[in-house]
Amino acid sequence: MTEIVVIARLVPDLVEELEIAPSGKALDRSWLRLIINEFDNHAIEQAIIIKERSGAKVTVISPDAEGVEDMLYSSAAKGADRLIKLTGLDEEKKPTNKSLAQSLAGLIKEINPDLILTGVQANDDLTGDLGPQVADLLDMPYVGYISGVSLEGSTAKALKEYPGGLLAEMEISLPAALGIQASEEPPRYVAISKVRQMMSTANIEEISAGELDTEGEFTIERMYLPEAAEKAEMLEGSEEEIAAQLTSVLEDLGLL
Amino acid sequence: MPEYVEYWGIPHQWGSPSILVYSVMFLAAGILLVRFFLKARLWWKAGRSESRWDRIPTRIWYLIKYGIIQARVLRQSYPGVMHVAIAWSFFILFLGTALATIHSHFFRFLSGSVFSFYKLALDLATILFLVGAVLAIYRRYVTKPERLTYQPQFTWTLVLLVLIVLGGITTESLRLAVEQPVNAAWSPAGWLLARGFLATGASTEVLTNLHLYVWLVHLLIVATTILTLPVGSLFHVLTGPLNIFFAELERPTGTLPPTPTTADGAPIYVSKLNQLTWKQILNGDACTECGRCQDACPAHGAGYILNPKELILGIRSLMDRVKSGQAGYDLPLLDNPGLSQEALWACTTCGACITECPVLIEHIDTIVELRRDLVIEGSIDGELQDALTNLGRYGNSFGQSPRKRAQWTEGLEQPVKDATREKVEYLWYVGDYASYYPSLAELTRKTAAVFQKAGIDFGVMFKGENNAGNDVRRVGEEGLFEMLVEKNIKAMERCDYQAIVTTDPHTYNTLLNEYPFPEKRPILHYSELLAQLIEEGRIQFSNPLNFRVTYHDPCYLGRYNGIYEQPRKVIQATGCELVEMPRTRDRALCCGAGGGRIWMDEGNVKERASESRIREAAELDKVDYFIIACPKDYTMFQDAVKTTGFEESLKVLDLIDLVDKAI
Repeated sequence: MTEIVVIARLVPDLVEELEIAPSGKALDRSWLRLIINEFDNHAIEQAIIIKERSGAKVTVISPDAEGVEDMLYSSAAKGADRLIKLTGLDEEKKPTNKSLAQSLAGLIKEINPDLILTGVQANDDLTGDLGPQVADLLDMPYVGYISGVSLEGSTAKALKEYPGGLLAEMEISLPAALGIQASEEPPRYVAISKVRQMMSTANIEEISAGELDTEGEFTIERMYLPEAAEKAEMLEGSEEEIAAQLTSVLEDLGLL
Repeated sequence: MPEYVEYWGIPHQWGSPSILVYSVMFLAAGILLVRFFLKARLWWKAGRSESRWDRIPTRIWYLIKYGIIQARVLRQSYPGVMHVAIAWSFFILFLGTALATIHSHFFRFLSGSVFSFYKLALDLATILFLVGAVLAIYRRYVTKPERLTYQPQFTWTLVLLVLIVLGGITTESLRLAVEQPVNAAWSPAGWLLARGFLATGASTEVLTNLHLYVWLVHLLIVATTILTLPVGSLFHVLTGPLNIFFAELERPTGTLPPTPTTADGAPIYVSKLNQLTWKQILNGDACTECGRCQDACPAHGAGYILNPKELILGIRSLMDRVKSGQAGYDLPLLDNPGLSQEALWACTTCGACITECPVLIEHIDTIVELRRDLVIEGSIDGELQDALTNLGRYGNSFGQSPRKRAQWTEGLEQPVKDATREKVEYLWYVGDYASYYPSLAELTRKTAAVFQKAGIDFGVMFKGENNAGNDVRRVGEEGLFEMLVEKNIKAMERCDYQAIVTTDPHTYNTLLNEYPFPEKRPILHYSELLAQLIEEGRIQFSNPLNFRVTYHDPCYLGRYNGIYEQPRKVIQATGCELVEMPRTRDRALCCGAGGGRIWMDEGNVKERASESRIREAAELDKVDYFIIACPKDYTMFQDAVKTTGFEESLKVLDLIDLVDKAI
């Protein structure tokens, strides 16, 4: 049976306004509301699509956070077979991708998957290096910006998006890790009653993240909302007047 | 003294004619019953069980009201008069035959003046029938309304009925012509015809023989009619009353049943024929194909594929396939004529079909049950999916932060109390649209200001309020509905209040009819509260408006909950002159937003229901204002006046605008 592992993360929900913690170095978690990373949601959907098409066992792993159970049960309602919550993480401090990748790699190695899917990036991780780091630790190839995968024997056929609207169809030998940009079909709706049913039947395994390797970690000196810059000065009037004003502005700046 | 004579002019040499008559009739009736049983048996065989045997006296009253008096049929004048003329005349003629049987075998009473009245009644019934038949022929073959289906069965049935009545009157008049009894004038129609026979100069013997032949033919046609009842359009005389008798009595229209479950508690999501209840299947066979639902349906009117009549007939045609052995009971319901996903999603659950149906078919229960299966399967359009996801996550369809739910209060002179912290008399359930929809914020503030001016002690729940779930339930997302109900009841239990008030008829409906409040407190629509405050003198108007206005009844206020008077009282109290639209009160046309339609992709639409409604209002003489009493109506009709080009001549105002202007 093909084994697929999906790494899914919860990220700050931008519907709520972000507040900075009194320390000035992090988001205020009391105001924070978490939501599944949209790209990870697509990764789960893609895994379920593969499962429905050619059969697979889908494991969803997510670092512990507020609301992670709901997200995992919801994945189970869509068709995920195994749910794992990575526990023992510092609630106040977001782990770096490097340390998280090490912890995940150890866990995933035991599952020995044919395919690892995760969101190509997240709103709190625009670098998107979690997938590549996990792949590297497990000695797997990694391809990002994928918008559709199907499995054929020991290879995956994937569509990769390039800037400028270009698409490439590529063949990747398994096992492999893919960074998902979009699933083939938009993530499905899962009825609340199905999620609720999963809450009473599905099991979430709690596995400790273990000691995180903090070597080479950076620290945040200051976190802040962008300060409003001075307002732009609007030049108004007829074309001649505007031209005259513009000339004097440029002169004042010593550009003329 | 004239007396009823059994089998006048029928020779007795073959034995008593009653043996012939009873043999033929009992045989025909027996065959009919067997055929009916074979058909009816399948309802229970195919359908799930559902008990409809409670409250027998009410069921009998329904049978009288809707089956015999035909109150629903009479909602429309031409078809109403046409149908009752035919039906009532047949009731009288049937009763006449029954009385004659009693007279012959049990109790002789048809003599003297009683007999004369008896003859008169039957003759008048004959005339009544002929009026009905002429109306029917004219309607079916000349005016041909679109809503009627034209099948040979109708012609067949109509011809048989006309022949029965003509046969009856002819035998009657031939007897009169030969006998010329003293009470002949009590049979005006019969006597007129009799004089016609006499004018031909035919001999008594010829007339008596002719009488015999006509009588025999009459007898055979009656037998044929009975025998062919299940294939003709007259089958509804059996299924219609049955459907009426087994109508839903427990729940008001505004209460949907929860998802049904199997004996061991597993939910049943209906996608196959045998997952419907026997009553839902009976609906299919009971449909008289009158098309009143089709005419009233806002989705059909807007050009969507949904036709409530075809949807119900879709169930019938599936059953026909089962009956003919072409398919099993587990036939999928969808992707069949009348029954498609697209049709199901087009329903606004406005309840017009249910209100019109003469045989009390329950369309909406079936539609919502089928939608529940589509939701479970995830077969929903993207916009609806977003709305439901937002509702599940944020408690509102807009995907806005719950913390912003009371943002509309910003800018109010007087702050609004937080009912989750302070004791209030009225808990104002604001609802999603009034809370979040940008162009409604001003209206919501105006409502608050009017409440404040009237000295009402009220508060709102701020972020504690979630969408009440009326339309979530009607979309078929029962689990989400249950979740919202739990959250809201929990939030409301934390509040100390005497009554709930809301401007939203949808919220009003579900709170009133579906919420399992541990303690019942009054739930008011703001039109009710305003009417009450005006009556008590707590709102007084110093500036009578003198507008000529029309009022649009919201489906979930009017048709669903019977609130028609209070909004009208408020309108009139502000000094406005109210002009009614042709489709008013329980005939009001839906705006097109209900049942979750407001969250869905509009799809291909010919003429939006809201636009059709605005055109209806615009045709009224010198009406400048279109008054609404529902936040969703405000958005729907504001758009519709623009798209129809009536923006300048017809202004959409909320009830509260009038009150605010007139204070």
